Parts: sequence; structure tokens; C-alpha cells
Amino acid sequence: MNTRSPIVVGLAIVLGIALIALSILYWVEPASSLPSIIPGHEAGSSHHHVKHGIASFLLGVALLIFAWFQTGKKDHADKTAA
Amino acid sequence: MIASTLITYGQAIVLGLLQGVTELFPISSLGHSVILPKLLGWDIHQNDPYFLSFLVATHLATAIVLLLFFWRDWVRIVKGLGRSLRDRGIGVDDTDAKLGWLLVVGTIPAGLLGLLLEHKLRAIFASPESAAIFLALNGVLLYGAELLRRRATRTETDDDARIARQVGFPQSAAVGAAQALALIPGFSRSGATMGGGLLVGLSHKDAARFAFLLATPIIGAAAILKLPELMGHQGDGVRGQALVGSLCSALSAYFAVRFLMRFFERKTLTPFAIYCLVAGTTCAIVIPFL
Repeated sequence: MNTRSPIVVGLAIVLGIALIALSILYWVEPASSLPSIIPGHEAGSSHHHVKHGIASFLLGVALLIFAWFQTGKKDHADKTAA
Repeated sequence: MIASTLITYGQAIVLGLLQGVTELFPISSLGHSVILPKLLGWDIHQNDPYFLSFLVATHLATAIVLLLFFWRDWVRIVKGLGRSLRDRGIGVDDTDAKLGWLLVVGTIPAGLLGLLLEHKLRAIFASPESAAIFLALNGVLLYGAELLRRRATRTETDDDARIARQVGFPQSAAVGAAQALALIPGFSRSGATMGGGLLVGLSHKDAARFAFLLATPIIGAAAILKLPELMGHQGDGVRGQALVGSLCSALSAYFAVRFLMRFFERKTLTPFAIYCLVAGTTCAIVIPFL
């Protein structure tokens, strides 16, 4: 699991933050106010996609945890089973 | 429509006892909660808001029982997770941390699929007829897992060490994702995870243990997420029945998990496969005439 590629780690951090930001958008904005490129956009709908927000948040946190492990000390990573 | 006229306390007791057992036995709780009311002529339907509220309470009770049953394991697992986050890695001998992350990795795909697909799948496959057919297919899946299972290697004396050694992260994600099958009434969550566990080389007992640990956060989170519905207007007139049903569910879930942990020390999934196949096929034939 320890690929230690800076590109992979960078992508995980950027995507993780973006997904957490997206989750906040899902929670605070009704479906009609979401940008049309985002899944869940419905014109005229006042529904809040709470579950989409939770899914997005969990995925974002998972990516940040992945990046956290990947950027750990090398000597410890060598001893890990993951 | 007053919910209390639609679900009686007697029905709540039967459905609660049934839910506790069928949630943990690999025979689909959702399938049984769709099929049984139809067989008994009860005017209860899978997608009725009050019934969903009732199910939330019984699921929460089952999750609490699972959490308490494996409480010492969960304490060790959570400590392991904390240790690995602090150390930014999983130590070679840190079984608790490895098992904890296996559970996290297994829970993520199931959680995501559940959040995104639950309503759509329930709406499409809510009929007793389709639940009966999928129950029979669940039997085929269980038997298939038995046929294809890899022989478990007995290298460790500790249950968790064996699971952590045998299961990898991609395999845990796949086994976890298989839980999403249970969104379709008739397919069993624990059946999918136990079957997946057997396919990656776990023994029956270890597969059952891994399945129950994996089920706890998913069942609990799904129930907590819907708890506001039970507390809101959808729960009006059904909260008393939900309380009785969840107590019955907790009782039967406790005995079910105790029974299954002993059962799988020596036995296989085959009896459950036969039950699902026979019950599903019989119900698929009988239900259209009811």
C-alpha cells in the first residue's frame, strides 16, 4: 500500500480536500443551487442531498488518511505490513 | 392513515424477533421482512414510511447487540487504529490496527453504494415475488461460495491474527462491496461477507467473525442516519411498536450471534443455502396465488 509516489499523494490530498468541500456544498445548498456538472443537480428542487454529502465527506477523509500514511516516516513504513 | 392500525404489537414482536435472527443468519432480513407479511396476509409493505421507521429501530437494536457482543474486540481495534494513525503506518505485528483498517476499507464501498443506491434498489425490487426469487439466488450464492472456497490455513491461534494475515486490503474492499448486494431484498449481507471471507481463504468461524465485525458499523450507521425519520412525523403512531420490536430484535440477535459463532466452528453455509433455495423457490411459486 505504500507507493510513496509524490503524484499519487498530491492527487489524494487535492481530491480529498475537494471532496470534503463538495460535501459541505451538498449539505448547505439545495439541489437546484448545485452547479449543473455536479451529480444531484435538479432544477427547481429544494431537496438537500445529505447522503451525497456524507458519501463525499467519507471518501474525502479516506483519501486524506491514505495521504497521511503515505507521507509517514520511511523507516516506519519499511516495517509496516500495509 | 394511523400507523398503529397498520402495525400491531403482535406483528411488532414477530417482525422484531425475525429481524434479529435473519439480519445475522445469512438468509436476508430484508427479504424475510418483505415476504413474511405477504404470506401472513398482513397489510405491511416494504416502502411504507412507517414500516421503514420501524425497521430503523430494529436495525439499531441489532447493531447495538453486535457492538456489545464484540465490545472488547472493538476497543482493541479502535486503539489499533489510533496507534497506526499516530505512527503513520501499520506495524507488522499490530493485528488490531490491520484488522481495523481492513474493516474501514471494507466499510467504505458498502457505505458509498448504500448511500447512493438504497432508494433506487428498494423501489425497484420491493415486491415479495422478486424478494422470493432473490432469496433462492442467495442460496445459490452461498452454495457457490462453499464450492469455490479456498481451504483455510491454520497458522495462528488468535482469530484476529488469522483474519489480518489472510485478508488483504483489496480483498477486504471486495468483500465489503459485496455487502451492497443486501440492498436488494432477498440477498443477505452476512451471506455475502461470509461467502467472500471463505473465497479469500478464511475458515467458516473467521469468516463469520469478520462478517459480524464488518456489519456493525454499516448497520449502525444506516440506522442512525434514519433515526430522525423515526423521531419525526414518520414515526408517529409506530414508536411504541418500534420499541417493542427493537427489544425483541436485540434479544433474538444476541442468541443468533452466540449460536452462529459456535455453529461455524464446525459447520458450513450449506444448510442456509438449502433453506434459501427451498424457501425462495416455494415462496416464488406460492406468492402469485395469494
